[in-house]
Amino acid sequence: MSSTPLSSHIPDFDLITYYAEREGTLFSRISPWTKLCFLAFLIMVITISRNVLLLAGIYLMVLLLFGAAGLPLRKLFAWYLLPVVFVISLVGILVWNEPGVPIFSLPLPGLTLTLTMSGLLLIVTLLLKALISVTFSLFFLMTTRYQHLAGMIARIFPAPLDQIFLMAYRFLFLTLAMTASLLKSVRCRGGGLLQSIRMQGRLFAGIFALVFIRSFERGERVQRAMSARGFTGSYTVCGEVPRPILAEYGVLVLMGTAVSYLAALSFLGVTV
Amino acid sequence: MTVSRRSLHGPHCPPLDPDNELIHVDCACHTYPDGSVGIHDMCFSVRRNEIVALCGPNGSGKSTLIEHLNGLLLPSPGTIWVNGRTISSGEQAGLWKEVGLVFQHTEDQLFAPTVLDDVMFGPLNLGLSPDEAKARALKALDLVGASALVNKLPNYLSGGQKRLIAIAGILAMRPMVIALDEPTSDLDPVHAAMIEQIILDLKGLHGISVVIATHDLDLAARIADRVCLVRDGSVFAEGPPREVFYDSALVREAGLEPPMTVRTWTDYCEAAGIVTDEYPLHHDELVRALRRIG
Repeated sequence: MSSTPLSSHIPDFDLITYYAEREGTLFSRISPWTKLCFLAFLIMVITISRNVLLLAGIYLMVLLLFGAAGLPLRKLFAWYLLPVVFVISLVGILVWNEPGVPIFSLPLPGLTLTLTMSGLLLIVTLLLKALISVTFSLFFLMTTRYQHLAGMIARIFPAPLDQIFLMAYRFLFLTLAMTASLLKSVRCRGGGLLQSIRMQGRLFAGIFALVFIRSFERGERVQRAMSARGFTGSYTVCGEVPRPILAEYGVLVLMGTAVSYLAALSFLGVTV
Repeated sequence: MTVSRRSLHGPHCPPLDPDNELIHVDCACHTYPDGSVGIHDMCFSVRRNEIVALCGPNGSGKSTLIEHLNGLLLPSPGTIWVNGRTISSGEQAGLWKEVGLVFQHTEDQLFAPTVLDDVMFGPLNLGLSPDEAKARALKALDLVGASALVNKLPNYLSGGQKRLIAIAGILAMRPMVIALDEPTSDLDPVHAAMIEQIILDLKGLHGISVVIATHDLDLAARIADRVCLVRDGSVFAEGPPREVFYDSALVREAGLEPPMTVRTWTDYCEAAGIVTDEYPLHHDELVRALRRIG
């Protein structure tokens, strides 16, 4: 298995696990249930809210949390590439010709594209929402031990869904490691992801498909090695997931109240 | 004990010494779905407190046989006895408790996020409580000299360290037999020596019988009590390493070359016209033998 990351723009699962298992900060000692509830509340808030200032504030707070936990901010910004590309690919066309104050126009043969303030706000809002959820999800994963995560999944999902989830999570590691070794072999012979796609598209596609087949084979070998140690289809979850302490319950109640208030305002037609 | 030879399509080989045999394989066959033969009429046994080396070239059936010992594969046809019990379909489920398996590619074995979690995996499957499993895991890590790696991520370890953790993962389950597939392949000399010493300790200090599948005959010569030569999916000759390895024709028949020490000594004696009844197997013995003849 390779310990070299696949790309600086794809979350490095080994690094995420390293930070999670290190348990180096106060945030690692917070109950995973509290963090999960906080994540759920955040998702609700960003779903309800369309206020750029509120979203920017939340984003700043989440970013501060990430930094305060001693997690790597530079890596985080590199990992933003995929969510940013995802948002832009979704709303890149929709932002044009939104009603509102025009900022600039782009004349094209047969039509004129106009970027308005509303269009700009739309993309900024969606970007902030994506970055908040990505940042806090990574914060959650990087401050929660795998055993605790496994314990939570076992509690939340019924069997065999929990097992499928846990195995799929580990399978992701295998696939990424396999892809990383593929890219390494391409790079060491002077190739690169973009160059290879341009120059040897068909070959590269073939090799890329092979990665998945090999990942399955590798998964099978891992499963055999697990069976050799008594695995019968049920991953034994070890230890209890720490419960929230009183102060954490307090924070969750406050957060829940704030989310309910925002939800009520939104229901009454007030823009939040 | 002398070298015993067996025809590749030989007769049945029921256990001769049931009290002393922990594992006995009688004419086991295994064919893979694509039709390739993994093992064929395989007869093999593991006795109490011994290190037995399965020596053969790549594709000779060593790994396939090892997977049968743990119940990952079942012979069809053929019979396997483990601790006096016949293993048939459906009964192999608990075999992993008695026979531990260390895979050649440790990446396949180490799947948990941390070393401790991985070593605890087997004991937890044995039904131990997390505290007991942790205590066993820590003890096993200590036995292989890898206590310092307890909180490390397997992916960030070197090949030698991964091998140590893989052995600890099996040792924590306290099986009566441990089978290691190519235990020192791809390792640097220091880590290979560490693994070698651990194998000797498994037998010497813990009374665990060890099976090693290897084409490193120098390793087998140094540590094995008994050597089985494997060819075309079957053990065709077995005996003490000194007798097996000094029969060059037999070793070459298996598609292998005698160990370096054996070749050096044989060539030296031939070149110098020395006739001797000394048969050094490893480096120290060779040095002593050379000193004696001046």
